[in-house]
Amino acid sequence: MVIIGENIHVIAQAISTAIREKNAKIIQDLAKEQTEAGADYIDLNVGPMKKDTEEIMQWLVSTVQEVTDLPLSIDTMNPVAMEAGLKACQKRPLLNSASGKTSSKEQMLPLAQKYNCDVVISVMTDKGMPPEVDSKIESIMDTVAHANELGIPNEDIWVDPIILPVSTAGEGQRFAVVCLEFIKILEDVLPGVKSTVGLSNVSNGVPNELRPLLNRVYLVMLGRNGLYSAIADPLDKELMSLVKGEMPNDVELIYKTMDGEDIDLSALSQKQVEYVKTAKVLMGANLYSDAWLES
Amino acid sequence: MEYKAPVEAYTGVVREITIGKGNKSLKIGGENILPLHFFDEGSNPNPAKFALEILDMKPEDWPAHAVEPFKDVISDPISWAKKCQGFAVDAVSLFLVSTDPAVKNAPADKAAALAKEVGEAIDVPLIVYGSGDEKKDVEVLSKVAEACDGMNLLIGPVLKENYEAVGKAILDHGHTAIAQSPLDINLLKELNVKLSKFFPPDRIVIDPLSSALGYGMEYSYSLIERVKQIGIMTKDSMTMMPIIANLGAECWKTKQAKENKEQGLLWEGITALSLLLAGANILVLRHPETLSLIKETMEVK
Repeated sequence: MVIIGENIHVIAQAISTAIREKNAKIIQDLAKEQTEAGADYIDLNVGPMKKDTEEIMQWLVSTVQEVTDLPLSIDTMNPVAMEAGLKACQKRPLLNSASGKTSSKEQMLPLAQKYNCDVVISVMTDKGMPPEVDSKIESIMDTVAHANELGIPNEDIWVDPIILPVSTAGEGQRFAVVCLEFIKILEDVLPGVKSTVGLSNVSNGVPNELRPLLNRVYLVMLGRNGLYSAIADPLDKELMSLVKGEMPNDVELIYKTMDGEDIDLSALSQKQVEYVKTAKVLMGANLYSDAWLES
Repeated sequence: MEYKAPVEAYTGVVREITIGKGNKSLKIGGENILPLHFFDEGSNPNPAKFALEILDMKPEDWPAHAVEPFKDVISDPISWAKKCQGFAVDAVSLFLVSTDPAVKNAPADKAAALAKEVGEAIDVPLIVYGSGDEKKDVEVLSKVAEACDGMNLLIGPVLKENYEAVGKAILDHGHTAIAQSPLDINLLKELNVKLSKFFPPDRIVIDPLSSALGYGMEYSYSLIERVKQIGIMTKDSMTMMPIIANLGAECWKTKQAKENKEQGLLWEGITALSLLLAGANILVLRHPETLSLIKETMEVK
């Protein structure tokens, strides 16, 4: 599993301030920590960016490249910032992200071809987020075909089905199941494409102390279905252990849960019980509530 | 080839709950089929029950045509409760609206004494709803539970914010709880999970909040339907409780119901029938003529 380290993102106030004030240390520390923790890419999420776009982007990219050899994922909706970021990268970067929206097809996708980089393409279209597996597939096939026409091969495309919070009343669990299904059939539909997800969105809205558990178990489940990469927190040691093959028994337990096997909870450790209960919620077998571990 | 209709059998069973004591008791829930799926394997031993609402004070915002059936008793909750029995109700639901700090902030002791008097005066089980003020209800409902010790009233709303205190009082004095959450199945389950840690789940009734026709009824409908499906089809222990649809007040708040009587009866009637179809086990209505309208409709074959 390729892990794109998510920790440099402007949603965090400290990062936002550090970027505005060009405080290199805060940014570089986070880049180093993620590198040492085993991330494969460093994501630079700068948000929409309103002013001094190019200059800030260049500064950020070179600041991070001073302390890490990892390739970067340039994460912005602003095509000017994107181009400045891609231009400044020493290693082959990841354009994060394009979509099936007209504006994205016109302004983002051509940049992937121009800078010969990998590109995340989400299932989003002008009509919004396709909710079902079929509509997601239909939309991504259109956008990938368009990308192919621009000269971007399937191998450079990382498809993003867009993960939504599992806690969304009534629908969240269906969303979670749809993404699992989507990842499972993606390889058959678009041979050669890779895939990625913004993992932590699955636990958005959930009490903070419970979020990592959902992220970890969902990543293992998606991984089993063929997920290639995830934008996630490499500083979560347990998450990294799970995806780097250091906890094979626990991974196997989550797989068994996915297969609907009868599992004797009394024979398991507390952590394993939590894995099983969480997997059941994420596969839609048990109704979600914030108290899912308590019942 | 002869056609054979498929017959489903499910593993979940809604808990059968008794409200009231002795010859003043009734059972709700107990079904292991989806609402009205009598063609499937299983049964519903306790068809839907109906309660009429009474208030602990003279209503201030009811249209004349809603007051009319009770106009001689509207200022006296005990006579009002007795009069409800003349309309063949299965239960009476007393709303302690006057205790609301935003209404009269009436003292909890007085409300508790009234609940006891009403409960003793009628021959059907009593449901008691506090004002819904999460803080005041702790005091009011605890006092009600204590004053009516052993009468097995159905008491609520037990909310996420006060379930520990209110739940304990209801439990200690031998009553049944109404667990209420705001139109959200995840929150509904969470409350049941938390309450069940110290409160027996076979003494919990779910109030998912019932909205009126044209004012969000479809949300209540979908939610009730889903609670039943998840309980009966997937055997989720924390949704296998009977459901109370407290809809009278919501319906009579609408412009349409206030405008004229027939419209009001239909508004309340359609809402009640819809939530009945969704799977409600006990329904709280305001107007006795709505009750007869529904009973008539249900008897049409």
